[in-house]
Amino acid sequence: MADRNHNSKSMSRVVAIEVNGEHHEVTVKPRHMLVEVLREKIGLTGTKEGCEQGVCGACTVLLDGRPILACITLAVECDGKKIRTVEGLASGETLSAIQEAFLDQGAMQCGFCTSGMLMSATALLEKNPKPSLAEIKKALEGNLCRCTGYNGIVDAIRQASGEGVDPIFMR
Amino acid sequence: MSELNYIGKSPRRKDGPDKVTGRAVYSQDIKLPGTLIGRILRSPHAHARIVRLDLSKALALPGVKAVITVDDTKGIKHGFVETPRYPPDQEVLARGRVVYVGEEIAAVAAIDHLIAQQALELIEIEYEILPAVFDPIEAMKSDAPQIHPSHPKVKDELPYSNIGGRTTAGWGDVETGFAQSDYVREDRFESQLRTHGYLEPHATIAHWENDRLNVWTSSMGTSVKRAKLAKTLDLPFSAVRVHKVYVGGTFGGKIDLYSHEYCAARLSMMTRRPVRIVANREAIFSAYRHGQPLAMEIKTGVKKDGTIVAQQIRVINNSGGYRGSGVVVIFLAWGFTMIPYRIPNLKFEGLSVYTNYPVRAPQRGHGCPQIRFAIESQLDKIAEDLGIDPVSIRLRNAREPWEQLPNGDNVHEAGLIDCIKMAAEKSDFLKKYGKGRKTDGTIRRGIGMGVSGYFGGSLIYPNGSGVIVKMNDDGTPTVLTGGIDVGQGSETIISQIVAEELGVGIDDVKIISSDTDATPQDIGAWISGMTYVTGNAARQAAGNARQKMLDIAALRFNIDVRNLAIKDKVVFNRNDPSQRISYRDIIAYSIATRRGDTIIGEGFWRTMRDEPTHPSLATTKGRWSENYAFSCQVAEVEVDIETGEARLVKALTVHDCGFPINPALVKGQVDGQVSMALGHAFLEEVTTKNGYTLNPTWLDYRMPTIHEMAESDDADVITEQYNVGKPYRTKEVGEGLVSAILAAIGNAICDATGVRLTSTPFTPEKILKGVRKLARESKH
Repeated sequence: MADRNHNSKSMSRVVAIEVNGEHHEVTVKPRHMLVEVLREKIGLTGTKEGCEQGVCGACTVLLDGRPILACITLAVECDGKKIRTVEGLASGETLSAIQEAFLDQGAMQCGFCTSGMLMSATALLEKNPKPSLAEIKKALEGNLCRCTGYNGIVDAIRQASGEGVDPIFMR
Repeated sequence: MSELNYIGKSPRRKDGPDKVTGRAVYSQDIKLPGTLIGRILRSPHAHARIVRLDLSKALALPGVKAVITVDDTKGIKHGFVETPRYPPDQEVLARGRVVYVGEEIAAVAAIDHLIAQQALELIEIEYEILPAVFDPIEAMKSDAPQIHPSHPKVKDELPYSNIGGRTTAGWGDVETGFAQSDYVREDRFESQLRTHGYLEPHATIAHWENDRLNVWTSSMGTSVKRAKLAKTLDLPFSAVRVHKVYVGGTFGGKIDLYSHEYCAARLSMMTRRPVRIVANREAIFSAYRHGQPLAMEIKTGVKKDGTIVAQQIRVINNSGGYRGSGVVVIFLAWGFTMIPYRIPNLKFEGLSVYTNYPVRAPQRGHGCPQIRFAIESQLDKIAEDLGIDPVSIRLRNAREPWEQLPNGDNVHEAGLIDCIKMAAEKSDFLKKYGKGRKTDGTIRRGIGMGVSGYFGGSLIYPNGSGVIVKMNDDGTPTVLTGGIDVGQGSETIISQIVAEELGVGIDDVKIISSDTDATPQDIGAWISGMTYVTGNAARQAAGNARQKMLDIAALRFNIDVRNLAIKDKVVFNRNDPSQRISYRDIIAYSIATRRGDTIIGEGFWRTMRDEPTHPSLATTKGRWSENYAFSCQVAEVEVDIETGEARLVKALTVHDCGFPINPALVKGQVDGQVSMALGHAFLEEVTTKNGYTLNPTWLDYRMPTIHEMAESDDADVITEQYNVGKPYRTKEVGEGLVSAILAAIGNAICDATGVRLTSTPFTPEKILKGVRKLARESKH
């Protein structure tokens, strides 16, 4: 009891992070996860919490270009780092190629896994613009989707990588 | 077809841009100032009496704003089913006794998570542990621990304990039928406990403000949620507003009223502050409502040529501690038995049995994958025993178009026979079938087939959907629909229909959906009928608005309205296309000359208009659906006979889903259902011991990942008959397709190995056991 009360009042510290190119200084407790900071303090709710156990991948964001799970990443670890979230993918109203491809291929239904999927896919394509099917599967193996069966997601990544996959939806 | 511009085509999703940019708002994204955090205290015991409950220490903790138990409720019960025979049976919090691990006992609202959690730990409870029972067959025994008395209508007829409900149905005389049969088989099948696996956890935020309750919650229909919340809170419907939010997957698991939804609302009413409750994943796995395992005994008699003469079926479910949807799944098991094949003599009995497990909910297919797995597996076995191929035996028994079903429904343009033929042809079925077992090597390939039928949009509260189309001054429509988009694409479908009927672009259509204050009632995304029911309401509403604009244009031009037509937001004279007026000008003209009448179109649709309600769950009497969809699915699997591991290599779905408003959305439904079925077939099982869930995470409950992705092809058999004059003859496509493919996978494993599995999932252990048994038998 006493320990917990102490814990809830435990020392906060200020963490400086760059999110989608904007600088933020946020006061966090040592126990706060990055996903809480993004969603609750900075107000970017596009990053989703599906399991809080680091399993479903819905909270995937890019930390210095690398996909990480924001629900099991402590905010204090991100001090001085650059974060990209789904809100940072489009430039203005112009969607990125992978965002467009998700719309073209039906890579999204309920949309709850979509932010994390897009971040994993973006990290993959930035590192490897022409991934093989095996590389696509490897890059997205930590992202669960219950709606699509993954077929549309794979097709979207192949479309975005210039494989010449035709859209199934019309623009 | 050529006159259709927006339906039958695949425009991109209306909700797509919001979902790929992170702008789509889900329940967990709603932020209100001053929000309190709610948490639920759950039973640690499967069956216990609550002897003492002391909240005083929790209430005294600084930061705790309210604590509730059942004594803070009106004691109004709710249930998935609320009929005279099956009245509401569950309180929102446990009263004096808990009947499953995880049953909700109390709820707290506090200023943060930690304090809320501490408050839960400060609630003092003494339990008197009661004997518990988990297996339905055990629970039926007369000396089993009583969870609830057997249903009064059943008690007099059957000696069993813990019977929550019973379905009996049939026609003809099965005994005579079996006597007339050349071959009779009896088999028993079982299915496992699975969860829905929606990515978005249950989340509710409730705010009591100005004597009104505002709720944002993960649901499958806001009309139903409002009704159940208003009822259990004893509030007028008009005092409860369930707001629109996007929903991150449901699959049947977000229909019922959940205790946390009530608790968030009640705690907000007591504290006058917003209260948020988010279920954590472990609680969802351990205490929330899963689907229903069924045990199925099937006796079938056939003629030498495979014609079904008689079938006797007994289905027993495990409904958990309250009725839940247990009494529905036993009814539906009858329905999904009846649809695809002619059965001249049928005797069906379904029993819903209470056990000390959490309450059960519908789950995509709601009994269909289980019963089709059983029937289709047995049918393959019968075919094999009689030397008939799987395609021929299905064609012999499949229903023809326009057949009358035994319950009085008609199957209309049923495309089942076409589905079977096309599936056999496209998969080259008969060429591949029977080869796997004869190959050498450890990797065996097999092919299997299954068929299924599904109802669309039955009658259950609120029975029908309304849609309103408001014309804006600029000539564009704003659509108000209660239809909720849970990922299936309803906002897109409804927009396409309005665009088609009004001659406007899809992007012109602004859609406001699933907000109980702003939008009309809607059947919701859970009775397999939104495209049909809400879609036709949208058609009527748009047509109504169109007619009003035509009437005004006729006045303006002083010509017969029948000479007028619409295109691209313009009304024109068919005989003189230069005589034309834009929607914008029609609206301006209306405002200027006709008392300022604005143009609003109304539409309402209810399936089976003259039927009072859904059929009897106990006797199956009454109309069920006017919209039966059909499918034939083929699975190709690979089985490693050394390890017993099997995988779905390729799935083919040939379906009759009626007119596809958006074929690409249909494909998305097909692929998703194939994936869900392969999880059912190979991976998923909630494992329990003494009522405790042993695998409450996605690490231990294995859902298909991208590595399990199967090749999924699909085709429809929609012929011109759907396209001429009735493009809105749409049918079900969102849940029935988890069924035949499951059976097909089982049949394909048998084709590959000779091992006939009678229970799901098809684990390596079961397959290996079967392979070894066959090897031993072949030596003797």
